[in-house]
Amino acid sequence: MKTHAWGNESRLQRWGYFFVLPFILVYSLFNLYPTVYTLFLSFTDLKGLRSDFAMVGGANFLRLLKDKYFWGALGNTFIMWGWNFIPQIGMALLLSIWLSDIRLNLKVKGPFRAIIYMPNLLTTASVAMLFRSLFAYPVGPVNQFLQSLGMYNEVLREGQVIQEAFNFFRSVPMSRGIVAFIQWWMWYGHTVILLMAGITSISSSLYEAAVVDGASGSQTTWYITLPLLRPIMLYILVTSMIGGMQMLEVPFLLTDMRGAPDFSIRTTTVYLYNMAFQGVNDYAYASTISIGVFIITLVLALFIFFFLQDRSDMNKR
Amino acid sequence: MTKRFMVMAGLALVLASGCSKSGGGASSGTSAGGSTQGVQSGAANRLVVWSFTDELNGLINDYYKGSHPDVTIEYSMTPTEQFPNKLDPVLSAGQGAPDVFALEDSFVRKYVESGLLLDLTDVYESVKDKMIAYPVEVGSYNGKVYGMSWQATPGGMFYRRSLAKAYLGTDEPAEVQAYFSDIQKFLETTALLKERSGGACVVVSAVGDLIRPFLGARTQPWVVDNQLVVDPAMIEYMEFSKLLHDRGYEGRATAWQEGWFAGMRGELKDEAGNPVEVFSYFLPTWGLHYVLKNNAPATSGDWAMIPGPGSYRWGGTWIAAWKNTKNPQAAKEMIRYLTTDDAMIEDYAKKSGDLVGNLSVVEKIKDSFSEPFLGGQNHYAQFAEMAKTVNGKMTQGTDQAIEALFNESLYAYVNGEKSLDQAIADFKDQVNAQLGL
Repeated sequence: MKTHAWGNESRLQRWGYFFVLPFILVYSLFNLYPTVYTLFLSFTDLKGLRSDFAMVGGANFLRLLKDKYFWGALGNTFIMWGWNFIPQIGMALLLSIWLSDIRLNLKVKGPFRAIIYMPNLLTTASVAMLFRSLFAYPVGPVNQFLQSLGMYNEVLREGQVIQEAFNFFRSVPMSRGIVAFIQWWMWYGHTVILLMAGITSISSSLYEAAVVDGASGSQTTWYITLPLLRPIMLYILVTSMIGGMQMLEVPFLLTDMRGAPDFSIRTTTVYLYNMAFQGVNDYAYASTISIGVFIITLVLALFIFFFLQDRSDMNKR
Repeated sequence: MTKRFMVMAGLALVLASGCSKSGGGASSGTSAGGSTQGVQSGAANRLVVWSFTDELNGLINDYYKGSHPDVTIEYSMTPTEQFPNKLDPVLSAGQGAPDVFALEDSFVRKYVESGLLLDLTDVYESVKDKMIAYPVEVGSYNGKVYGMSWQATPGGMFYRRSLAKAYLGTDEPAEVQAYFSDIQKFLETTALLKERSGGACVVVSAVGDLIRPFLGARTQPWVVDNQLVVDPAMIEYMEFSKLLHDRGYEGRATAWQEGWFAGMRGELKDEAGNPVEVFSYFLPTWGLHYVLKNNAPATSGDWAMIPGPGSYRWGGTWIAAWKNTKNPQAAKEMIRYLTTDDAMIEDYAKKSGDLVGNLSVVEKIKDSFSEPFLGGQNHYAQFAEMAKTVNGKMTQGTDQAIEALFNESLYAYVNGEKSLDQAIADFKDQVNAQLGL
């Protein structure tokens, strides 16, 4: 009797494989295979409209190491991601603490949360195009607004000082700032939601105990909320960095699809796109860039985990 | 079984192209209808056509289908920016590629130079005396023709008649052309416009508008023997743009952006709110119909067109076929018909006003045009003359990528961010890193 039941169970267990099969198939076909193939291509010389290629070993990786434009693009990516991440986490912390504060008990937090999340629902490409026309030169809404405030860009022309509109997309800090702002604006709502979920999951008895002990609002925030939010903030940092390393649409569409001005908003992914799909279709080198970005992201993510992880538990042991 | 069908269908095809059209249509019709495997026998007389423009679909529906009822067309449309990404994998894999496809100016050379297109030299040889030279030059590589076009898209200089009258004293195209016949004259007239208008009139709204005449003035293409060549004309263009910018002879707009369109309507203003009068725009044939007319309808009649300081071309659509198409004869016949056929091209040209590549049609109809938007000027005859002087041999597959990198250096220099030498050195460096030239 027992063996029969066991057999029945194992027969049923076999169905488990069928249930995960769709995922395995879709994953292998659309995720695993392209990844492995990209790795494979990075050791070839596939270029242009060909399907034949030769294995060239690590030549592409050597080229990548020596490619100053790749490292420049990596630097651009980090600058813009950093300018977006620091205000993003700061703003999101502030909003999430306010919105989930029991003592403040804000009335419209539901609709408010929906509103700040909304930019995330927009298509990135259309947001890029929107900002492109907002900051247009010499005629554009932002310039018109600044002019109505009497703000001009003063340029020297033939010995004369002339008041002109701001050419935002010829200024390196402005262009990078606009990219960072768009990223921030689109993603802080998302971070607020995550942080609020983290705050809600903190046991309310901790707060109650603190209130009984006479802790002030800032003290509960500083000594309870923030330390207990550490894991979720770590998660946000890592996912945001991974997302930031793949930044493509905004810097791609904002200017000339090549990272103008002076290639200062050319991210690694824009550089990859330029290599693979514009010009000579250097698929092999584009794959190498992609693998390079993958390795760098992986190393950084592991680094963050090892050095920023909460080790207070380990110390106790 | 399949083989027999292929042979039968092949025979039907030979009959179709050799015999009268009704006969061919009937035979293929019966073979398709009488078989249980209608799809397969149809495949032999089927052409898969990919395009990024509805124009080609229009030509096929309006003309080709009527005259070639025996061929089944499977048409698919992909937006221009995604088109190469869709075409490249199937062409390089050699599987699933379309038989016939449209190619745009910005990427046509990439495919012409790829060795993956069907050789159309015999089609061209049969019509070469009546075709405008440059579209075929663009579609040729190593002496063989791989792409053909039904149209020619030379560019000219469109100017505002009212501004010409006010500042140059005439709005007659022939007389205005004398003011802009070469770069030196162009510069002198530019200064004159600025001076006589009290600073309001700029010759162009954007320095980028002038790149094509300068590209047309090159004596060497961008790449010679796998090396990047910066033709003196391009350096002249950089210096010229800088001069226009520094002296305030241009409107500081960017092509395809708001200020550029505002200039067409005569609504461009500077920061102090003073109107900026844009004297001219450098646009090709399609620019008249799709850019000027659409964006500045109120200025109708106040425009005219001249060749300007140099001949150039811009845009256009080519038709090519895949070299491993199962139906090379049908594909060639389709391309021959759509790009050169006298009766079809004539009817199309009359209806669309498009400048066609077939010169015998052009000569026949060119005197019948009068464009109200250009104050009654016969733009067609003017364009036809201009198309003959365009050099199609300068175009290469890497042009688009190189010119994008060049533009970055141009703007860095024009805006005073870099010196000329630095800008050119950076340009060469970027081209080397990205294109290996």
